[in-house]
Amino acid sequence: MSLVKCTHCHLEFDESVMIKEPENPELNFCCNGCQGVYHLLKDDGLDNFYDKVGKNTLSPPVAVGVDSSNFDMESFKSRYIKTTNEGFSRVDLIIEGIHCAACIWLNEKVLAQTDGIVEASINFTNNKAKIVWDEDIIKLSEIIDKIRSIGYNAYPYDRSESEKKATKNKRDYFLRMSVAIFASMNIMMIGVAKYTGFFTGMEDDMLRLIHMAEFIFATPVVFYSGWIFFRGAYYGLKNKILNMDFLVSSGATLIYIYSLYVLFGGDGHSYFDSAAMIITFVLVGKYLEVIGKKGAVDTMDKIKSTIPLEATLIVDGGKKVVPLDKIEVGDIIEVKNGEKASVDGELVTGETSFDESSISGESLPVSKKVGDKIFSGTINLNQVIRYKAVKNYANSTLNSIVELLEDSLNSKPKIEDVTNELSKYFSVIILSLALATFFGWYFYDGSFEKALIIAISVIIIACPCALALATPIASLIGVSWLSREGLLFKEAKFIETFAKVDTIVLDKTGTVTKGKLEVINCEMVSDDSDALNILYSLADSSTHPISKAVKKYLEINFENLQHVELENIEQIHSKGLKATYNNKTILGGNSELLEEYQITIEKEYTSTIYHFAIEDTLIASFELADTIKEDAIKTIEYLKSQNIEIVMCSGDNENIVAKVASQVGIDNFKAKMTPIEKADYINKLKAEGKIVVMAGDGVNDALALSRASIAISMGTGADISIAVSDVVILNDSLSGLEKSVYISKRTFKFIKQNLAISLVYNVLTVPIAMAGYVIPLVAALSMSLSSLLVVGNSIRINNKKYEGK
Amino acid sequence: MTGILWLELIVGIIVSFTLLGVFIWGVKQGQFDDGKKMMNGLLNDSTEDLQDAVKNEEKVKAIKEKKAKEKKELDK
Repeated sequence: MSLVKCTHCHLEFDESVMIKEPENPELNFCCNGCQGVYHLLKDDGLDNFYDKVGKNTLSPPVAVGVDSSNFDMESFKSRYIKTTNEGFSRVDLIIEGIHCAACIWLNEKVLAQTDGIVEASINFTNNKAKIVWDEDIIKLSEIIDKIRSIGYNAYPYDRSESEKKATKNKRDYFLRMSVAIFASMNIMMIGVAKYTGFFTGMEDDMLRLIHMAEFIFATPVVFYSGWIFFRGAYYGLKNKILNMDFLVSSGATLIYIYSLYVLFGGDGHSYFDSAAMIITFVLVGKYLEVIGKKGAVDTMDKIKSTIPLEATLIVDGGKKVVPLDKIEVGDIIEVKNGEKASVDGELVTGETSFDESSISGESLPVSKKVGDKIFSGTINLNQVIRYKAVKNYANSTLNSIVELLEDSLNSKPKIEDVTNELSKYFSVIILSLALATFFGWYFYDGSFEKALIIAISVIIIACPCALALATPIASLIGVSWLSREGLLFKEAKFIETFAKVDTIVLDKTGTVTKGKLEVINCEMVSDDSDALNILYSLADSSTHPISKAVKKYLEINFENLQHVELENIEQIHSKGLKATYNNKTILGGNSELLEEYQITIEKEYTSTIYHFAIEDTLIASFELADTIKEDAIKTIEYLKSQNIEIVMCSGDNENIVAKVASQVGIDNFKAKMTPIEKADYINKLKAEGKIVVMAGDGVNDALALSRASIAISMGTGADISIAVSDVVILNDSLSGLEKSVYISKRTFKFIKQNLAISLVYNVLTVPIAMAGYVIPLVAALSMSLSSLLVVGNSIRINNKKYEGK
Repeated sequence: MTGILWLELIVGIIVSFTLLGVFIWGVKQGQFDDGKKMMNGLLNDSTEDLQDAVKNEEKVKAIKEKKAKEKKELDK
């Protein structure tokens, strides 16, 4: 059996399961969705999309449960649709399913070709779209349908004030940083001429010209780009705090003023380049922080867009659609198939299954009967039900999670990195030494000018370039190594935190286990090929995870399976499937279903079971379970050997969690945990002073992930958990954790070495400067030398390849 | 010799600061807000795309004119 690529989504599947077209044998589709989108694009002349996609893969299009007509409702319009000055309608959407630049191209192209759309621009970085259209020509629901038809989905979001503020702030920092980089690059080029001149000799006129050029470029860096530090220093002093901003701004200003004095006739050598470089280096670091904050706002918008907008209340026998905040305790709410429950409650009529993965992390639907609890945010999978609200929206699970998540994303504690800690002391010591040098020389020599020049030379020689480079260069090399191993660190600073980790909290489903049901045992009474074909067709007729697992098992273990035409396929709630074939009753489901049809099952099963029977004869029984990942045992063993405490947290019941924990060798586990309990547990660990890494993949883990010192999610995890995480393991394997720990620890070792190099350098050179022996050539050479040493040392990180434990 | 270098310096600084000014204008317009799209823009720029952009502009212009006309009639 060979693997072939789907013509639309480019994912690889076994050739036998692909959809073929007799008239186009070269085409292979993994599902009807991909086939539909491919032909739609071809018919519209947009098939050059596939040239642009290149080797990237896409997600196969999925059917969206919620009807698009909701987007035309008045309550929706009043909340999300704005009117532009020209009289057009405008909405902000988040587009789901964007993978590459080609996806943006396709969406924008399709929308631009649609009549009535005035503007459609999609942001590739955060997948947010701005759509402006003429309501007289096209409705929003039609626009959404258009996006869905090409395999993507769109949700509205409320463009909040915080987003506008974050965008403005990011733009401001970007501008200041660009000016600083632009000017510093020019100063560096001029610097080459200046320092070469020290060796070859240079006329005074020429040196003045070079100093003038440096002055012109350094001035906007110090006063425009560096304005942020002056502002920070002012607020710090106002609150009686001597912060980093004060030290950066005072250092740069002193050097700048001294250089100005040299430029306009004073004796000595100007250092405009040092002033510009210090500001540029520190500003780049600040800009990365600002991007992180903007990312938190975008994540929150994504989360909020998944909250239902309104609920259908049953009032005096009639239906009334109300916004969520109008729901009161005791109200009866109707939830249709595919809709989310808006508040917590209790089922009063109907019987159905709910997808509770957002609460428990378990993908298997949970059946609900009258009296059972319904949680807000969970999805109704079967029939229409009615339930009684026991909490209002503000106190419901969904809203509590969203509020807590917003809280923790906005106030993610900054872990003080070793360079920051050091540089605080470093700068205070250098400034004090410079001051002492000034007074020392002034009283010794009596010359104010000489004392000032020597004091400033102490600050210049102690230029924190090497200190500033110590962490970023090593982290950069570490991060690129990690990315080659399929581990995406969203920011380089997480390496340092990862190296210091002492507790790792693991989610069970999808993290330690595969998160998918698999057949672990099969008992066949008959292996007649007709019966197998009937079983295969029955399993294929449902999208339930159990049916899918049985179908996959059959495809792997039996050849030449064929589809047969089953009739009257009927889903029997929470029990299984019933169908007829050649007037015979076909049953596929749990023991309860078979017993209902007088087929006795004698054996007791502890795991999930799927029986298959024709008429009243049992043909096969399949035991299913979620299996642990292949690399789980080895990874846990490695982490333990690094003295890292491992805890497994799960929303599942105690027996299952205990079984998985003992299989992989975890001694400490917590079962039946709600998302809020998981988050509280992380907080408790952090309060004990521990550095906690949390690895999870589901919507239910998002809150706990947002609380952890470092959050890791699996590449195939829920969008929300990927959005709140700091590290993404692209290939889903648990050994990614092992590699992350190993590479981070190695990188951190080099960061510490770099810091030692820069400190030793300062210990050696600062006394020389204090003694007044620093000539410009020495200053220039020693500054570059310390930086080169740090860069050269960092390159060694890659020398030792990771070969596993 | 130094005189020419001074002239070169002045011209160079004027040119580079003009370019920086254009860049700042672009940033303030929001053209650099989407880093990823900016970097990938080259992949998707073709003659065909430019023609489509022109057609789209014409379409939008027609809608806007129609809307303005309707508004005018309504005001009357």
